Amino acid sequence: MGKLKAAMRLAVAAAAVACGIGIAKAAPEAYPQKVVTLVTHSSPGGGSDVFLREMIKYLNRYIDATFVVENVQGGSGARAMSKVATAKPDGATFYAITPTYVFTSLMSKVPSTYKDMQPVVTVFSDAEVLFTRTDGPFKSLKDVIAHAKEKRGRWGVANPASLERQAAERLKKAAGVNAAIVSHEGGGDMMINVLNGTLDVGVGEIQELRSQLEAGKVRLVATFNSKRLDGYPNVPTVKEEGFDVVVQKFRGLAGPKGQPPEVLAIWERAMRGLIADPDYKKVYAAESLVPEVQGSAGATKLVDDFAAESEAFLKEAGAAK
Amino acid sequence: MDTLLKCLTLLVATPLVPAAIIGLVWGIIGGALPGISASVTMSLVLPFTYAMDPMVAIVLLASVYIGAEYGGSIPAILIRTPGTNSAAATVVDGYEMKRQGRAGEALGISLWSGVIGSLFGLVMLIGLTEPLSRIALAFKPMSYCALGLLGLSIIASLSGGSLLKGLAAALVGMMVSTIGIDPISGVDRFTFGQPDLLNGVKPIMVMVSLFAVSELLRQSGSKSVALGQQSVRITLPNLAMMRRLIKPQFIGCITGTVEGLMPGGGGSIAAFFSYNEAKRWSKHPEEFGKGSVEGVAAPEAANNTVASASLIPLLSFGIPGSNSAAVLLGGLLIHGLLPGPRLFEQNADVVLGLYTGSLVATIAQIAVGIVIMPVCMWLVNRPRPYLAAFIYLLVLSGIYTINGSLFDLGIVLFGGLVGFLMKAFGYPFLPAVLGVVLGPIVESNYRRSMLLSGGDLSIFLDDPIAVGFLITAVLFLSWSLWREWRDAVARRTEVKPA
Repeated sequence: MGKLKAAMRLAVAAAAVACGIGIAKAAPEAYPQKVVTLVTHSSPGGGSDVFLREMIKYLNRYIDATFVVENVQGGSGARAMSKVATAKPDGATFYAITPTYVFTSLMSKVPSTYKDMQPVVTVFSDAEVLFTRTDGPFKSLKDVIAHAKEKRGRWGVANPASLERQAAERLKKAAGVNAAIVSHEGGGDMMINVLNGTLDVGVGEIQELRSQLEAGKVRLVATFNSKRLDGYPNVPTVKEEGFDVVVQKFRGLAGPKGQPPEVLAIWERAMRGLIADPDYKKVYAAESLVPEVQGSAGATKLVDDFAAESEAFLKEAGAAK
Repeated sequence: MDTLLKCLTLLVATPLVPAAIIGLVWGIIGGALPGISASVTMSLVLPFTYAMDPMVAIVLLASVYIGAEYGGSIPAILIRTPGTNSAAATVVDGYEMKRQGRAGEALGISLWSGVIGSLFGLVMLIGLTEPLSRIALAFKPMSYCALGLLGLSIIASLSGGSLLKGLAAALVGMMVSTIGIDPISGVDRFTFGQPDLLNGVKPIMVMVSLFAVSELLRQSGSKSVALGQQSVRITLPNLAMMRRLIKPQFIGCITGTVEGLMPGGGGSIAAFFSYNEAKRWSKHPEEFGKGSVEGVAAPEAANNTVASASLIPLLSFGIPGSNSAAVLLGGLLIHGLLPGPRLFEQNADVVLGLYTGSLVATIAQIAVGIVIMPVCMWLVNRPRPYLAAFIYLLVLSGIYTINGSLFDLGIVLFGGLVGFLMKAFGYPFLPAVLGVVLGPIVESNYRRSMLLSGGDLSIFLDDPIAVGFLITAVLFLSWSLWREWRDAVARRTEVKPA
């Protein structure tokens, strides 16, 4: 693991040098720590890993510190969560959060849960969409629901413990239809089943669909976000279509409990600056990430509300511990 | 002609050749270390590629993949430890050959077959991406479930004697594979509140414990220290041998292509399958398990073919056919390259570079293999106590790197003890390994199919691929049972006169 860490540090340093040549506007804010470790449970190249690595390329413009991404894999995220939850709350260690960390806490017995960490900031909301194959029979969400009412729907989600599954289950309930919600081992697996017609629709994030979308193989049916997506203004929200289901796949950072207030304030300011940075904007706009920055108080409320909602939902489905 | 010229320009004008060779060497090293799978080897270099030119980065990653698939066979042959999942089938005859003092020959065959497999996979990738990608789309959950069952039907012929013991071993393997998070509902199963078990027991841990650790335990019981100094020269197959290897290699190439197209397999199924089929069609099936050259050639051709073939669904849909292809996908995305139908139009030069680089890596494989093999063989020719200590170190540190967890080391040591006892009571290892690999494929896809149909089994009949696989499975099974019965009768008639 030591080698891996060293390798990552080197790569991060190289990226930092490469970016340093870019425009340096206002001086970055002073920070109590020299090195900040950002932990993720995802493997190099995975969702949260890419989020962190893209972010730290530009973060030095706003916070005066060296950022290191550390991939702590294993135990379905339990190891990464324990590592962060038991670290010192001094602003040197953070964890990349998404709804997954709440699900892991609720569904599995893990030594440290989301409750043992303090949300520091949320940055984005991913675009969660319902999609179908272009040459299939479904043109709109109404078609999908009508089919599920008449016969039986077949809806796909990438992973069992995921926001996508919750979105699908809630839509099924809101529409009062009969649909099999089939979970897969990742988005690629599900994509094949949407493309070959095994599934009526799939629920996923825009980033995972981009190549098929650009090739015109799949079509977006609706988005689960609260508003229409900037990149796809013609795609209605699920709510507009008459079903009161809105989900928000937040992305942000959490740290060990008891962070100094100035650290929290610096992160909030830095994130607001970062999402307005034109260079970074290009990166996240391409992935249809919706910037929604919340400071620690807002982020904590968001996570707590989400956890309460999910817990009630999982209990009902019999999946919570 | 134009394309050829472009390829040549790439070779001369870009650091493609060094990238391919560095990637290959790194891949062979990573692949040869047990526990460090091809995908981990690739993840380790991934951060270094961020600052590189996209094409060079992709060539580097693809070469690592090619190298790792080959490297996994080195410890499989020399120290009975598969370096990667897909080298498990090579252990059987490869290590047997080494014990007979034919290590150089076994390594030469594995190298030669690996090159053939890579070349075949590349030809498929370059020439048939379009039609083959359509096949990849035809696989539904029902087809996967049926494929898994077909895989399990070869247990009988891997059992090496007792069908009952083979089935018992496979069953235990399948039971081990259910530990962890339920693939469909997401709840914990059989983890006993132990978070380290949430990710399950990885097939590589089972393979390493059964093959390597149990062998170390067994060896520590034997007093003989003399190992017999073996030659450290690698022997590439001569013409007659090459001709003999064509059939098993062909079998390996075909099964490897099919598995590469299907996301989820990762090479080990193709390796087992080709081993089994090579045995079935061989003129010398009795040599299998006792150091058959064909038993090394088939799985080694298969796992190298998978490395190239799994790029087909990756490049054409952005859907990775193996864990390693998933890392490559990450590499493409980080460089802003979107795999999918439009990659070939928008980034034709990257694709061309990838083809050329893979070809360079494949050819370089021969040279690199010839250079490093003698070193490896010299290493395993050390006196047994040193060697055993070295293997323990290699195995345990390799497993530790998977999750950085001491708990995993406990699992592997315990598994070694189980393996030792299995050996003592005549239970075969291969069915257990097959159970661990195939159990999740059969289970999750069966449950997916049942979800899709609402519990109606006839959904399997609606899928022609599934029907085909199931019929083949029944045929295989009847054939093995018939042979079992025939041998039993033969044995009885032999005993009677005495």
